Order: sequence, then structure tokens, then C-alpha cells
Amino acid sequence: MTPGTGQLPEIQGAQRRPGLRGWLLFAPLMLWLFAFVIAPTAIMFVYSFCQRDELGQVVFEFSLSNYTRVFDKTYLKIFTNSIQYAAITTVICLLVGYPVAYFIGRASEQIRNKLLMLVMIPFWTSFLIRTYAWMSILKAEGPLNGMLLYMQLIAAPLDILYTPAAVVIGLVYSYLPFMILPIYGSVEKLDNALIEAAFDLGAGPVSAFSHVIVPLTRPGIFAGVLLVFIPAIGMFAITDLMGGGRVPMIGNVIQNQFGQARDWPFGAALGMTMLLLFAACFALSMRKSDAA
Amino acid sequence: MKRIGGLIYLLAIAIVAFLVGCKKDEPAAPAPGAGSAKAPAAAAVGKELNLFAWSEYIPEDVITGFTKETGVKVNYETYASNEEMLSKLLAGGTKYDLIQPSEYVIEALVKQNKLEALDHAKLTNLKNIVADLRDMPHDPGLKYSVPWMVGFVGIVVNTDKVKDPVKGFKDVFQDKYKGRIVALNDNREIVAWAMMTHGIDVNQMTPENLEKVKPTVEKWIKLVKVFDSDSPKTAMMNGDVDIGVVWSGEGAILANTDKKYAFVIPEEGARQYIDNLAIPKGAPNAEGAHLFINYILRPEVSKLVSDKFPYTNPNSEARKLLTPEQLKNPASYPEIKSKQTFRDIGKAASDLDKMVTDLKAAAN
Repeated sequence: MTPGTGQLPEIQGAQRRPGLRGWLLFAPLMLWLFAFVIAPTAIMFVYSFCQRDELGQVVFEFSLSNYTRVFDKTYLKIFTNSIQYAAITTVICLLVGYPVAYFIGRASEQIRNKLLMLVMIPFWTSFLIRTYAWMSILKAEGPLNGMLLYMQLIAAPLDILYTPAAVVIGLVYSYLPFMILPIYGSVEKLDNALIEAAFDLGAGPVSAFSHVIVPLTRPGIFAGVLLVFIPAIGMFAITDLMGGGRVPMIGNVIQNQFGQARDWPFGAALGMTMLLLFAACFALSMRKSDAA
Repeated sequence: MKRIGGLIYLLAIAIVAFLVGCKKDEPAAPAPGAGSAKAPAAAAVGKELNLFAWSEYIPEDVITGFTKETGVKVNYETYASNEEMLSKLLAGGTKYDLIQPSEYVIEALVKQNKLEALDHAKLTNLKNIVADLRDMPHDPGLKYSVPWMVGFVGIVVNTDKVKDPVKGFKDVFQDKYKGRIVALNDNREIVAWAMMTHGIDVNQMTPENLEKVKPTVEKWIKLVKVFDSDSPKTAMMNGDVDIGVVWSGEGAILANTDKKYAFVIPEEGARQYIDNLAIPKGAPNAEGAHLFINYILRPEVSKLVSDKFPYTNPNSEARKLLTPEQLKNPASYPEIKSKQTFRDIGKAASDLDKMVTDLKAAAN
């Protein structure tokens, strides 16, 4: 906004400059953002150029070595691994979540709220407890294997816990609501007349879905994909617990730098790199969706 | 953009709930240099004692007993590895009064002048510590630390499933047990086991030695099903694995629950670890910390710890109170020919971490 705009005699609605009261109302958010986003990111940025001493304390000595280490093939491989896991998780969440969100969004209002409640209920218990619950379900002598053996569907217990499959199950389970809710938001606003129009104009269900419904719910899909994909890349608790600590993801590597390896500067450099990567992806996808 | 308010509200709840759930697992990273404003209390015993110790290591009744007797409230915060403890301690967010590091960490902390010297006049029960633990290289004369429990890293075997004799690491890490093995999730441990197998001193963490053991570690990592340091016995009891390399205390618990579990001290060498109580520099309630140390040094209190966590008790008077069965448990009081203890390896920890991370990433 140029300084000149303020001198215009009458500016309507959204274009009016915020008064003192507006800034006051905005201040808590600014403080929050500064204290918990900007300041920590700045600290991380500074740390990422530092060194560690014998005990693992940060030594303020400028160096780029942390960043050169980020591009070591070990960590690049873990990066691509993590992206793979996150991508698989996102695709499954989308395939499972879209129909659920669609169904909830098209249901009558009474049923809709009950169904939304069902999606939310798991969040009432701690995420760790839910993860441990999955571990008991999947373990070799657990209820899942017990049931399958009893029904004589399998001859020997399935090997699920502590495998990559268990990691994906855990990730999909944890992030599914983050896919359902935004898509539900888009579906709920879907104009029935447009779908009927598509049918009237001779579109079959498939083409109505792909040409009308999907484009109209694209904002929800886009938000859901972001909300699932980004946190899934950084997840470390599920990979440790359900993957048996065998499948290192980038989140585990970063966590390890702040824990066992006691190399905060390197951890900070990894974190900064991830942050830049996300920012770039986000900017790119925003530009693309603007163009569309 | 007019989004439905309710949806945003639901999402916000979801995200907050998720973050709250996650919080437990993430080490709080306090701002650096933001030392506590609390002024250290003088000679008087403070009302609260901030105890920062290993998870599953201090019985509840010991803490309540101490509070009942002294009126000092104990805040027991736990960690799962020495390194996690160090990170939090050095970040300086909370002022801890009492920490429980292993021997090599004591050595590093003493070197960096991070521990308060103990006042032996206040530790009247210190005489109960057995003689051979009073002059260890990490802290000769127990100037800065008092042994809490001693343990070994050993092999636990489910003899129902594993019929072949198991004597050492090389018997565990065999192709036929692929996917049936649990190992401690500690990068230094697995490297140390490989070093012992190669006959290398576990403290000579040089790049050449790392290179030498790398193929062994690489092979072993591929065989392991679960890496878990917190509670490796769980995977064993759940039937997900049949053999593993675990802390002796965990092995002793397994051996106590079922005869089918056997605990073996590896013939290549036994890594002995000594966990200690120590007071960090500038502890606000150093007085209370001394009281606590002296309290746990009482034979009857130390016995409570042994009852719950069957590691090797360093308290000679407490050992007299144990039952013959407890003393006979080979995981608690093993016969060992060669003991090795870890020394501080400084920056080599980074190289080691990189190597193991690399191998783990490649194993999948």
C-alpha cells in the first residue's frame, strides 16, 4: 500500500486502513507469531551456521559445513524416503478420505454433524496412546493376528508391526481427518444445480465427477493434501514406535540431532532446508492454482 | 474468503489436540541462554527437588518415602538416553537439582566443570557403596557422583524359539534370525558390540576403527527387527522377536517372568554401565539433592530399587537384604571375565551417528 492511499477522501470496506483498535486486536496474533514462529526460526537460522563443541553445546563460529552435510547422499536418500512415505500416505488418505468427506458433505444436516463428530472423536485421546493401541492390535500375538488365525484365514501370524506397512498404517490413521475436513468443507458448498446441469447436458457419472465435482472441490483437496503431506514428511514418533526405529525418516534424523547425536547446528540446518523446501513448494503450487 | 467458521473451528481443535498429543515426545527446546531466574537457595533445603532421571528406574515408593520423611516435593522428569538428558541440561531451561547420567557422561560433565562437588560429610551412608566401584576412571573417589545401579549389556534369548546355544554377539546376529532380533536403539551401543567382536577397545572411536567395523554393523542392522532402548522387553513379550541385545535389568525382568528367557553375558566382552546420581552446577536445591542421595544409599531404600529394577545393586549393605533368588539371577549378578566401560568420545559421536544413520537408511 502506498502512503498516498491514506489521503484519499473515502475508502470503502476492506480497503479502509485499520485503525488503532484494529491493530490492538491484531497484536496478540502478532506477538504469538513473533514469539513462537519468527523468533525460533531466527534462532534456528543462526544455529545452522554454527558449530558444536565436545559436549554438544552450540559454538558461535561461522561455517557452511552443516549445509554441505545436508546434501550428503545419506541425507538426500532419507529425504526421498520420507517424501515417498508422505506421498503414499497422502494418496491413501485422499482415496479413503474423499468418499467419506463427500458422503458426510451430502448427508442431511442432522446426520452430518454426527458423522463429523465421529471423525473428531479419536482426537479426544492422546496421539501416543492411539499409536500404542495400534501397536497392540498389530503385534504378532495381538488381536488382529489372533482373529485371522482363529478364522483360519492365515496359517502363521502376519508380520505387520515394525515394518514399513505399519508405518504407513500409522501415518494414514493419524492424518486422515486432516484430509477429510477440508474436503468436506468444499463438498458442503457444492451447488447441486451444477451437477444436475452436467447430467442434463449428457455427462455420465464419471465425467460429471471429473469435470464438475473435482474442479469445484479442488480447494479442499489442495488444502487436505498440504495438511497431510507436510506433517507426514516430518513425523518421527510413528516411525520410531511402529516402524521399530528401523526406517529413518527426515524427522527422525532431525530429532536425533537434537537428542542422541547432540548436533544442534546440523539439526537446525536440516530444519531450515526443509522449511525452504516447503516454502518453495507452497509458492509454486499457489502460483499454479492462480494460473488455473 | 468466506469459509465456514465451524469447519475452521473443528480443524483448530484437531490441530491443537494433535500437537498436545505430540508434545510428549518432543524434547522441549528452551531458548538458549535463558537461564532460570530462580536464585539458588542458600544452605537451606528447598521445598522442591527437580529430579531428572531415566524412565523406569526410580520406584514410586522411594520418591513418596523421601517426601514423607523430608517434606521435599520431588518433580520426577524422565529421559530415555544420556544424550537427551545432556541436551536438555545444557539448554538450561529448567534448573535440575539431581541428574542420573551414565559413567561416560559423568566424565564429560566433570571435564567441562558442569557438576557440583559432593559434600561427603552430608553423605553418611556413602560407606555402603562396594569398594570396586569407588575408584572408577570416570570419577575416582566419587567426588562428583554416587553409583545408582550397575548394569551390563547382554543377550536375552527365548529358549522356546531359539534352540541353538547362544554365547556371544556373533551367535545373535546370524542370517537365520533375520527379523527376529531386538536391539537397543543406541548408535554407540551397536557400534561398540561390533568393536568388541573385532577385538577393538570400545573407546578407540577413531575413523579407522569405525571403517573397520562398518561392514559388521551394516550386516547386523539389516537383521534387526526392532530398535528400542526404552523397553526392549516389550517386543520380546509380544512375540515379535525371539532374541535380542538388551540392558541386563530388562533381561532380569524377563528371566523373572518366565523360565523360557535366558540371559547371557556375551563372550566377546561385557559392556558395564554405571548409572550415577550427580548434582549439576548451580542446582537451586543442592542441599535437598544431598538429602536424596543419602536417602537412597540406605540399605532398606536401595533394596526397594532392586526389588523393582533388578540391576546390580552397588550398595553392599542392601545386597545383604536381598533374597537368594535375587542374588542368583544371572542378569542381576553375572559372572564376568572382562568388563568394558564407556569413556567420553567427544566429537567422534557425530561421525558415529552419521555412520549408523547412513547404514540404517541403506538397510531399507
